[in-house]
Amino acid sequence: MKKTAEKLYGAAAGQAFDGGRDAFLQAALQAVSARFVLDGASFYEFDEKNGLLRLRLRQASGVAFEHEDNIRPSPGSAAERALESMQTAAASSPGGKFLYFPFMFDTSDPSGGKNAVTCTGLIRLERSPRRRRFSASEAAKADAFLRSFLRDYYKVEFFSLTRKYDKNVSAITELTEVFATALRVRDSFRRILAGIQTYFGFDRVRLYLIDEKNHKLKGELSADIRGQIKSISYEEIPLEAGAHRFADIVLGRSSGAFMERYKDCVLYMPLAVQGVTIGLLIVDNLLSQQRIEPQELAMLKSFGGQIALAVDNARLFEKVEELSLYDELTKLPLRRYFNQRFQEEFYRAERFKQPLALLWADVDHFKEVNDTYGHQIGDVALKEVGRIILGNLRKIDFPCRYGGDEIVILLPQATGAEALRLAQRLSEELSELRIPVPFSKTRELKVSLSIGVSTFPQDASTLETMLEKADDALYWVKSHGRGKIALYSDVAEDAKKTAAGGTNDAGQK
Amino acid sequence: MKIWLLSDYDHRKHLAFKSMLARYSAAFPDAGAEFSVKSRRSMWESLFAHLRDPKRNPLADIIEIPQNWTELFSRLGLFADLALKVEALERRRFPGFILTELCRHDEARAFSAPWWLEAPALFARPRALEGVCAEPWAELASWEGFRAALDRLPGGNKKRGIRALAAPNSSGAVCPADVLPRVWGRRGGLFSDDFNRATFTREETAGGIEDWLELAVSGKIELFSPDRFENGPMPVEQCAFVISSRRLPRQCRPGAAARGRAGQRGAKAGPGRRSPGELKVLPYPGCSAGGGLALVYNLAVSASTEDLSGAAAFVGWALEPENLGPFTGSFGVFPCVKAAFEECLQDEGEEETYRKIFSAPELMPNIMAYPTAELLLERALWNLSLKIARRDYDREDLTRELIMAQGEADYLLSLY
Repeated sequence: MKKTAEKLYGAAAGQAFDGGRDAFLQAALQAVSARFVLDGASFYEFDEKNGLLRLRLRQASGVAFEHEDNIRPSPGSAAERALESMQTAAASSPGGKFLYFPFMFDTSDPSGGKNAVTCTGLIRLERSPRRRRFSASEAAKADAFLRSFLRDYYKVEFFSLTRKYDKNVSAITELTEVFATALRVRDSFRRILAGIQTYFGFDRVRLYLIDEKNHKLKGELSADIRGQIKSISYEEIPLEAGAHRFADIVLGRSSGAFMERYKDCVLYMPLAVQGVTIGLLIVDNLLSQQRIEPQELAMLKSFGGQIALAVDNARLFEKVEELSLYDELTKLPLRRYFNQRFQEEFYRAERFKQPLALLWADVDHFKEVNDTYGHQIGDVALKEVGRIILGNLRKIDFPCRYGGDEIVILLPQATGAEALRLAQRLSEELSELRIPVPFSKTRELKVSLSIGVSTFPQDASTLETMLEKADDALYWVKSHGRGKIALYSDVAEDAKKTAAGGTNDAGQK
Repeated sequence: MKIWLLSDYDHRKHLAFKSMLARYSAAFPDAGAEFSVKSRRSMWESLFAHLRDPKRNPLADIIEIPQNWTELFSRLGLFADLALKVEALERRRFPGFILTELCRHDEARAFSAPWWLEAPALFARPRALEGVCAEPWAELASWEGFRAALDRLPGGNKKRGIRALAAPNSSGAVCPADVLPRVWGRRGGLFSDDFNRATFTREETAGGIEDWLELAVSGKIELFSPDRFENGPMPVEQCAFVISSRRLPRQCRPGAAARGRAGQRGAKAGPGRRSPGELKVLPYPGCSAGGGLALVYNLAVSASTEDLSGAAAFVGWALEPENLGPFTGSFGVFPCVKAAFEECLQDEGEEETYRKIFSAPELMPNIMAYPTAELLLERALWNLSLKIARRDYDREDLTRELIMAQGEADYLLSLY
């Protein structure tokens, strides 16, 4: 059999199996054109639903090309006869001499079904009007030739399925690893989206997560077809029925009408962990308008649980990290975290000869507040102080709840004067704060801070001395009436003057 | 070097490119070049396939594209900036109307080189209009006049292969290339002027589409016609009207009969004598004052090519008037380079009409969402074509399809 086939159409077909369906059919048209000295050969698929012959490929004057044309064969025409009888039919018209070869072969179901789908159509062999018509013996030979060629079509399908299988195996192996190892939120979301794009290559993938506290669906990240990832945190959707179709999907209230319309090029995949929806993954091919292969959809859906788990794990990890590094009450970093950052900033300031300032603040009479109004009111006071501090800092500043009511703020690249300005701003904003205390006589509580400031390199040359000097400045404020701000260099100057018998004027209010 | 060429209903384009490439290979024997021809759909799919999986789906080094694909694929990083690589891309070498859509946001860059263009026009056979139109050229200036003339023409005689109207580039169904010239003629479009919303359902747009569909509904053009399939291409001289963006074959141009008779048979020739096959070119009905649609095709170089200089050199060579002219002339289109374009107009028997057509043509907007919007329109037109062919079409179908397409296009605009 192999010898017969080779004799019929040579080695060209053998090379075309791996190139996909079009390459194989192109090879068939080339081979038949050469063998029967044709002026043209065309490959038409039959669209049975609409009764149309749809031109896909042509070979003419030594040029092979793809082309599209849609024709409804005339009733009783040779083309229609060939399709109906599945027998080769010849025809002659002012346009030329034609031989219609009907074919039928099985392909894998493009919609993902398990059964093979039959593809029918015609290959038209063409000669110009001036040339001879196809004889009966030529028609028989051409029929045998093409039948023999197309008999090997299954090999193209085999190669194609093997490639798909390989791709799926790689996707399963590598994506599972990505989902299992993703830990930190930003990083893991990026890796998940990048992983999906590497293996599926959608026009776009978007990840939205539910913000339970604010009752919103919040945009996280979007990855485009090139794998470029950007934040979509500006997208916030109220989690209410009817507010947005994404909200409806997450809430399980979608009518499904629009999902049905876009089902070929959009997949909305709610992410759920243990029955609780935590977000929504949306993939689409809207820009290219290309159909998402059903197998790809099925595979991505099968990853849904893992993706949801990976996203949830990353969020839990972040939560645990936050709890270990941040004070839950004031939302300020804890001392352990501060020490690490302080070392880094001090090293940077030393190396690049940049100024560094340190504020050490203490809530005035905090013990009395707790004792008089109770710890609940004390906690509110601390929470408010934390809020005001966080609202007044630059991105590079680093505050910390150092312990109890003591708060330290690291100000990279800030001089003493700049640190004093910040301290002043904090004091002013705090002075306007009133904490309601319904059961007290005054019905409200005022809060003030005593603040000591030290600077590098003026006041200290080491990390420890910097802390020490800021504490000294704070001590000076506390011993001089509280609610003030003092810069260590002024305190030191004042101490010298006092020792020399002068007046003290270091504190600022 | 690999080149992807867009397929054309006129097979002479592929042959002309083959011989152009042979000339290039002869001039530069070291520059091995081969080409393959892709349908518009297949080209689109191949470009996206590359974006999805570049290793498995490598791009050709040089790619022919409709000019309004440039913004989309350059923004997706597929095309190299040719502004500094191709000397022939110097801006003053192109007619101004082409430059308006070359690079919308950055005049210093050019991600594709304008190559050839065509403009839809109406071709009328004066002999067929005798007794049908009193003042044909005035009547045919408007769509309504053209439509009325078409109605007055005796019905086609299929047996003799004579038709009242032919649209040789039809692919069976009505497609955007069919309807958009009419949409433009009614000052419609797929998007608003500021590109903030889709306007498929706007009266001018829907009306333009409906005008063309009506030709199919009334049987003036036959959808999915087996004619060409069974009888080969219909000679244009057998039609009273032809709507085409291609220039006429020489034998159909005015005066060709006289030239032919005088030259070949020594017969008496005069300006008043017309051959039955002679056709006269007119601006597209409704665009008689210019402002119609021109379709431009560009050459782009893949950003991932390993031989950017070689690919750019080929593009430069292909834009040289002495190489471009013969190529475009062979399948009846115009070269984009000004010098060759002018030469082509002067060579054209109906220079004056073509000058009018090209006085202020508009190009399809080169914005990111436009090619997809065309696909949405194509899908709508396909559905409508099937309905018309089944004689199951209703005006409501058009409204419904356009509303759906507009909704999708609007959504797309919100994303890109």
